[in-house]
Amino acid sequence: MRQLPVGLYQPADSVIHRLSGSAKLLCMLLLLIGVVNTTTLPGYGIWVLLTALLIRLARISPGTALGSAVRLKWFFGVILFMNLCFYQPEDPWVRWWIFSPSYAGLIQGIQVVARVFLLLAMSNVLMVSTAPLVMTDAMERLLSPLRLIGVPAGLIAMILSVAIQFIPTLFEETDNIRKAQTARGARFDSPRLWDKAKAVLPLLVPVFLAAFKRADELSMAMEARGYRGDTQSRKKKYPPFQTADWLALLLCAAVAAAFVMIR
Amino acid sequence: MPVELRKVSYTYAPGTPYAAPALKELSLTVGDGEFVGVMGRTGCGKSTLIQLIAGLAAPSDGQIFLDGENINERQFDRNLLRQKVGVVFQFPEIQLFETTVQKDVAFGLKYLDRSREQKEAAVRQALEWMGFDYEAVRNRSPLGFSGGEKRRLAIAGVLAVMPKFLILDEPLAGLDPLGRDAFLELLRKLNQGGMTIVMISHDADALAEYADRIVILKDGMLFKDGPAAQVFSDYKGLEANGTGAGQVSGIAERLRLRGWEIPAGTIRYRRLLDEIAGRWTQ
Repeated sequence: MRQLPVGLYQPADSVIHRLSGSAKLLCMLLLLIGVVNTTTLPGYGIWVLLTALLIRLARISPGTALGSAVRLKWFFGVILFMNLCFYQPEDPWVRWWIFSPSYAGLIQGIQVVARVFLLLAMSNVLMVSTAPLVMTDAMERLLSPLRLIGVPAGLIAMILSVAIQFIPTLFEETDNIRKAQTARGARFDSPRLWDKAKAVLPLLVPVFLAAFKRADELSMAMEARGYRGDTQSRKKKYPPFQTADWLALLLCAAVAAAFVMIR
Repeated sequence: MPVELRKVSYTYAPGTPYAAPALKELSLTVGDGEFVGVMGRTGCGKSTLIQLIAGLAAPSDGQIFLDGENINERQFDRNLLRQKVGVVFQFPEIQLFETTVQKDVAFGLKYLDRSREQKEAAVRQALEWMGFDYEAVRNRSPLGFSGGEKRRLAIAGVLAVMPKFLILDEPLAGLDPLGRDAFLELLRKLNQGGMTIVMISHDADALAEYADRIVILKDGMLFKDGPAAQVFSDYKGLEANGTGAGQVSGIAERLRLRGWEIPAGTIRYRRLLDEIAGRWTQ
């Protein structure tokens, strides 16, 4: 495991790390609203600067922050291509077979890619700067008002936290199995696509089996220790927001509002 | 077919807060036909060592040579490496995936240039070595066996290729006493047949009994390296390191404290029995 998985929490002491989890989640939601409502080129320029600022403030290396987005380069390529060729078939530059690239399509494609890229980068900052348990606590906190209408917030938070805790385990297990099968002669590292495709099965079957087994064992262990779901209405005390939290929320709300209004 | 490590270092997740050195400038040579036991406390770099030798990870620094060839050179044939070096990982039972035992054990043979009959013979041989009746199990699903049986099936899958160099990571953990002894005897037989064996284990008793040479790692560096009789004679040093030197060395040490003259290097059960019996007849 030479490379760390994308979005793994990296402890550090930064302004962003110190913000409370729920404040960060809300900020993320606000920024998302802002990004989705951006339509102009200068607008995206501002977002790029803002994202860079966030990365800087969180003291994350740009490589870590943008890693997941860069890995999706093929996905971005396909999205761009699809939008370019199919978005507006009425007024294309040229028409060839089923493809009809247009200016509007190009702009639309660039916009979609830019939005997804920015959101990935920002959510990566959130993930990398927030410990998984803090994150699930934050989700539970934000969901807890919904308890009034019967949403099992505690249960949802438990499911999320278990799922999140499984990620590194599964990642490690996949890595182990990949190594074991490679040593047996599976050709994951072969440059040939056909070899790679054939190597998927020896990886997938054991990983799934292991995941089910683990889930089974965990549920038994939880039951053995008396877990019975969200039966007792637990009233958790959450720490109040600090000045920094309010400030961050205010800033994000202002940015989001500005972009919504400009549109 | 010697394996040679020259000043090999390895660091996990370099450049992040999780960075951790696993091996530090380790130099080690394993000669043809040796039976080497590797010991060390958890986190000393044993598993990393395996992955490096098997070419599953590249060293941060230093070189690894297999038969004189650097395995991390671009032009090195990885498939040759897979064929020469077999690895039994910790809990190998997770690697089973095929629909039948026959197919799963034959998985490693898929890319080898051998005839159908040769491949089938290799599978039969490996399964029989691991204590299975070939005809009875060949068409069963490997996933329907018990945990211990699955482990033996997985090991059969590694042995079917007949690697010249076999690495085992804690193969004894979880085996029942009978299965453990049978497996160790099999390893001895394979070793006598020319297979080089490197076995990682916390089981000092097993290593004292079967390995010729003991390598002990500590914090990613060599702590001890030498003939088993010599390394395990340092009973106090090994106990202090938390590795243990095996029961036989322990008994010999106690007898010495009582004034018995047990020669240094008495690490095997038979030898100790002979010593004690010899004193009795005097």
